[in-house]
Amino acid sequence: MRLERLDRERLDGKHGAAMQFAMETVVSAARIDHAEELVDIGFAHIDACFYNGRAHLDFVNYLLREGATLAVPSWTNSGLVALDDLSLRDPRRSREMDEARQLMQAYVRLGCKPVWTCAPYQLPGRPRFGEHIVASESNAVSFYNSVIGARSNKYGDFLDVCAALTGRVPYSNLHRDAARAAGLLVDAGALPASIVANDLFYHLLGYLIGRRCGDRVPAIVGLPRTCSEDDLKAIAAAACSAGSVPLFHAIGITPEADSIDAAFHGKPVPTSIEIGVDDLRRARDELGRNTNGPLAGIALGTPHFSITEFERLVSLLAGRTLDSKLSCYLTTSRHVFDAARQRGWIDSLRQAGFRIVTDTCTYFSPAVDGLRGKIMTNSAKWAYYAPGMLPVEAVIGSLAECVESAVCGEVVLENWGEA
Amino acid sequence: MSAERFDARVLVAGHAEGYALCLDEPLSFWGGYDPQSGEIIDVHHPQYGQRVGGRILFMPESRGSAGTPGGIAETLRNGSGPAALVLGKADINVSIGALVANRLYDLSVPVLVLPVGQLRRIGDGQRVSIDADGAITLFG
Repeated sequence: MRLERLDRERLDGKHGAAMQFAMETVVSAARIDHAEELVDIGFAHIDACFYNGRAHLDFVNYLLREGATLAVPSWTNSGLVALDDLSLRDPRRSREMDEARQLMQAYVRLGCKPVWTCAPYQLPGRPRFGEHIVASESNAVSFYNSVIGARSNKYGDFLDVCAALTGRVPYSNLHRDAARAAGLLVDAGALPASIVANDLFYHLLGYLIGRRCGDRVPAIVGLPRTCSEDDLKAIAAAACSAGSVPLFHAIGITPEADSIDAAFHGKPVPTSIEIGVDDLRRARDELGRNTNGPLAGIALGTPHFSITEFERLVSLLAGRTLDSKLSCYLTTSRHVFDAARQRGWIDSLRQAGFRIVTDTCTYFSPAVDGLRGKIMTNSAKWAYYAPGMLPVEAVIGSLAECVESAVCGEVVLENWGEA
Repeated sequence: MSAERFDARVLVAGHAEGYALCLDEPLSFWGGYDPQSGEIIDVHHPQYGQRVGGRILFMPESRGSAGTPGGIAETLRNGSGPAALVLGKADINVSIGALVANRLYDLSVPVLVLPVGQLRRIGDGQRVSIDADGAITLFG
């Protein structure tokens, strides 16, 4: 493996034990990947600040004890607790939540910018097209690669931090041109306009892609030009929940896919699948569409709500209030929260009955107050994961269906032309 | 007693013995797995409800989450995790989780890669021994 002088010095321990450990970890990863060299990164989105046990805290405390410092700008993913609202998952009532809070604070001490969001791409200061970066939260990896054209493999906890400490990653997979070529054409061009116009469509499409594409890079053809970044976020998040899809192309929409030919790097399309209405119905029903029994709440903002989603929500709600017996959550980043507050939307949504949460999310354990029973969500990612981690049954719906259900206090679904 | 031997690629070296647990589908160690109990909690997974503690875990691949290394390190830290992981394809996340746990807690949980064709020949519950050079021996 070709290493630079600084890499070797770090491996030799000349820059301290933490840097040595970080460099060894990056080099181990490179060996596993058969990478022949490392490449510089310009940015890192750190997931290791998300608590999943004492090991996380032991790791960062080791780095802090050894005086480690970051080589590149590094932003934090969502944490397990909301630092702005500790009552959500209360550190005073459990050791885990207290360690989760300590973990988040430790990454700030390490030098990370505390943005606490799984949708960092919604904030100003995006990486450049073609820039090598480190991303780790699955939807962020996919969005950065697919929609922005930055280059990141799907990094996991610890390696994300080691890369941020060294500014180096293995030059492998999605950092290189060849791995970015599409290997599967997903044809969504035959669907009725009414279905494609529904925001739920993009979640279901992502879910189907995650289920079916294996380790191939999918290229989606047939999406309307009006497809928004929120829609692309939905595809990214759903595909990465139901499968492993760190990069997708959308022909005519995403930056490496001006044409089918460009997405497939000039090679013939090896396989294509067509998405039909029945596939979408099946995906929808698998994610949860049972209307029986009382509705207990709704959960929006997985991944974190964008300012345009806030705008749509306020418009759909049209000044109405939510049924007061429901628990209605909306999760977002501090940055988008501030932007929404300046427009007066935080106050109005709170008055309507929403609990608006920053820094974290609601789909994972431990359950936040009131999230049990039948919960409606506009997110395939939420619907995919929450029933495994929380005492909930998910019902998936469009944003409009979620709003109508929350206002009426029962599940209200639109008909998809079914009997 | 008959024994069959495979030579696997070593991602993280170590020695282990135990009984095989063979997963039919990829597993996410974050979201699909509880690192406290070592139980598969992905309701969509065919082996939902199984515990992996102490087993030699054979699986086609890991899936889905950046939390994988943290989940692995934590389950190894508290002793609820597998004795070894044998994957159908090389996986950095799983390996880094084991590397970090091995380093922080002075363990030696191996991570190996075996072609899926060979992986499929291993039966649930078979007794397995793994050597540091990647030799996998199946008994019975």
